[in-house]
Amino acid sequence: MSAQRSFAGAFLLLLILAIAKPVSGQTYEGRELVKAQLIADTDAIVPGQPFTAGILLHMAPHWHTYWKFSGDAGLPTDIKWTLPQDWKAGEIQWPIPLRLMDPGDIETYGYENEVLLLQEITPPATLAGPSTKLSAEANWLVCERLCIPGDAKLEIELPVAGKNAPANEEIFSRYRRTLPQSWPGKDVAKASWTRSDSELQLAVESGALANSPVAEFFPLPDDKVVVGHPKTERGPAGKITFRIPIETQDPKLASLNGLVVFGPDATGPNRNAWSLDRNVVASATTSSTPSSPSTLFLNLLFGFIGGFILNLMPCVLPVISLKIFGFVQHAGQSRARILRSGLAFIAGIFAWFIGLALLLIALKSAGREITWAFQFTNPWFVFAMSAVVLVFALNLFGVYEISLPQSANRSVLGLTAGEGDAGSFFQGVFATVLATPCTAPFLGAALGFAFTQSGWTIFIMFVAIATGMSFPYLLLSAQPAWLRLLPKPGPWMERVKQLMGFFLLATLLFLLWVIGAERGVEGIIWTACLLLALSLACWMKGSFLTPTASPAGRLVVVVLMLVLVLGSGWYFGQKFAVTKLAPGGETPVAGDWQPFTPERLQSELAQGHNVFVDFTAAWCLTCKFNEATVLESAAVREAFQRRGIVKIKADWTNADPAITKMLKQFGRPGVPLYVLYPAGKSPIVFPELLTQSILLDKLETITTNVAAE
Amino acid sequence: MKTRLLLTALTCLASASLFAADSPAPGSAAPDFSVTDSKGKTQSLSQYKGKTVVLEWFNPGCPFVKKHYGSDNMQKLQAEYTAKGVVWLTIDSSAPGKEGHLTAEEAEKQIAEWKMKSTALLLDPDGKAGQTYGAKNTPHMFIINPEGKVIYAGAIDSKATPNPADIATSTNYVKAALDESMGGKPVSTASTKPYGCSVKYK
Repeated sequence: MSAQRSFAGAFLLLLILAIAKPVSGQTYEGRELVKAQLIADTDAIVPGQPFTAGILLHMAPHWHTYWKFSGDAGLPTDIKWTLPQDWKAGEIQWPIPLRLMDPGDIETYGYENEVLLLQEITPPATLAGPSTKLSAEANWLVCERLCIPGDAKLEIELPVAGKNAPANEEIFSRYRRTLPQSWPGKDVAKASWTRSDSELQLAVESGALANSPVAEFFPLPDDKVVVGHPKTERGPAGKITFRIPIETQDPKLASLNGLVVFGPDATGPNRNAWSLDRNVVASATTSSTPSSPSTLFLNLLFGFIGGFILNLMPCVLPVISLKIFGFVQHAGQSRARILRSGLAFIAGIFAWFIGLALLLIALKSAGREITWAFQFTNPWFVFAMSAVVLVFALNLFGVYEISLPQSANRSVLGLTAGEGDAGSFFQGVFATVLATPCTAPFLGAALGFAFTQSGWTIFIMFVAIATGMSFPYLLLSAQPAWLRLLPKPGPWMERVKQLMGFFLLATLLFLLWVIGAERGVEGIIWTACLLLALSLACWMKGSFLTPTASPAGRLVVVVLMLVLVLGSGWYFGQKFAVTKLAPGGETPVAGDWQPFTPERLQSELAQGHNVFVDFTAAWCLTCKFNEATVLESAAVREAFQRRGIVKIKADWTNADPAITKMLKQFGRPGVPLYVLYPAGKSPIVFPELLTQSILLDKLETITTNVAAE
Repeated sequence: MKTRLLLTALTCLASASLFAADSPAPGSAAPDFSVTDSKGKTQSLSQYKGKTVVLEWFNPGCPFVKKHYGSDNMQKLQAEYTAKGVVWLTIDSSAPGKEGHLTAEEAEKQIAEWKMKSTALLLDPDGKAGQTYGAKNTPHMFIINPEGKVIYAGAIDSKATPNPADIATSTNYVKAALDESMGGKPVSTASTKPYGCSVKYK
């Protein structure tokens, strides 16, 4: 009985082997690396009725085969069918692949564990015979630490019948769900391409994409173009820009085929993909504008709010005291006078912002990268700024007075401290210049948006920010009645003036510190020498340039002052020009932070670490504030340590181009920027004004997700 | 002072935008490197100024490299062009413990066994030279002209398979670029997508 059964079993096995070889294996050093199998979604062939066949590849753990575009290395799996006459095989339908990363910045696209490559097979309308044999030859490259080519000749035999039933339903439906979908309608997603010399940008506006934690672009380039690694940039209002570095000799190339892949994570089966046909999308979007009016309006509103909040940011503290002082001085004066002075102050704010906008537009049209507060990355700007701050502080201390009548108030020094309209104007400029090293909530998003738009949008955005920043002063000027809430002027104002002088000295310390970070100790010394010479000139003005002095004496003093100011400016300026940071003095990174380099970030991520990057600058007070109150707080330090998060500090004090590039990727015009890279997932961006609770909450969700996997 | 400020601001921004791309693009200056070869000699690009230099990324364990060496295709190219005065540097950037890593001794053996005809086999286990060039594949080919400019970057030929039988029917991009450049003509195909195994960096 048992012998009979085993005989029957062996016979059956022989029969199966004789009829078809649906399975074939690739072994390497005794291990099976890939098992290939040919399956169909039907149990019988109905003449003229298409069905789907699939090559199922089972890979050994950690080994992978490649997608249609294999990326930096590897080779796509190739399938050749041997079909009877008049049969047709469609193109391979590739499931959404994984983006795989190898050391050395090598990115490939492929499949791990298992993949089913589907193809539609169309039999002719008339078919003879009880069954048909279909065969296919598959060639693949399977890689882990090394790469091994594999191949299999597979066959399947199916009966020919008048009707059929589905077969292998589970696996076919599972893989059909992972096939990319065609590009959705304009109501779901709007896409547009732009090309700069060596980069293609695909901008997609879609709620589905904006709400997905992961959104990536997988390119499908033809052989005329070599593509780099696409980067995802999240802009405001759900706009996502994919930046794809390209190298091509075709100057007209303006788009690529590819997939926009999105979902809750970067690897799971719940991902979706839209297939982008370059011709369809390119022609569909030429008529649509790059940004809808509502997006523009929303961002302008952000700009306005951001500008308003700028008044309250930590770096504006010394400046805000000046403004308040200005209004205290105005209190009790005629309404028209207050309005005029207020408007002059506001004009100063506008003048700076509009000037900055025009400069940025000029730079952008010249193809330069533009950033917010870039002037602080320039040591010369800080050098000059510290001189202006000191001279103004000395005026507040009473070292010298602006003794000229208001109508003749024309000297630059006098203008800033003066009480005339011109004085108010320059106060506005001064306040705004000092305010720019801060970015406020909303401002980053708004500027990030504007910087990717046309010159006009940048201009309107800066006007919106200026309006926001001027808003409180506009209100106070228009409603001087509210000024009564401020104290009455009196002798106490002299003391307040002096106190404000100390505020300015604190600002000066901050500027000197920035110079130290940019140009080292020597830079501070030469700046301080200039400051000393300027103080002497101010003292000479206050002590000897009195109305009672003789005209000849006055001339001597003026000449001496000019010699002192110009001479020291020239001499110390030259000394300052040759200062630079001592080698190794750059990016002084304190504590357990590591200095940023793109390679370091890459290698930490490649090792599967969670990484937190703090984009900061010495002159960025918002950054310093966040670092002191959040990043260096005991609770956060402990949380980072417990979760083994690698802390990297990207110091943008000297506008390190590698960091500028990173900021651009995140659509940010400047620092601060806080990014958490959870291992193997898309980075998470934190708001400009960090709080401990925001950071700790996010850390919590990340690590629980990781633990759950 | 103001114009000075503006100028420095402009140069600041200008340098910011000149951040180098991953691989040196054809037409750009070839970055220098200094790597020890299998004979213990230091090889740098700058010492071959005035000559055409071919860089070939190499990994003896990679099937795509085996395709071109097993068929004698690579050795023939190396022999033909070194005879014409071209400097051919084969570079192994595999890290220790990874596929294709060679010690100096093993490298010498490899040269003898495969009858390699390149000028030198450079050992770059820390991947510095490889990373400088953004070499991603084995084989990944670069050609540098006597003026020190990259004139070709990419695949060795047009058929991205590990099958030696495909060599006969494929277009050899390296040969074409070398012939054009040495004949005083511009290189018609200056960049292609390289194919092969990934370079096994540390």
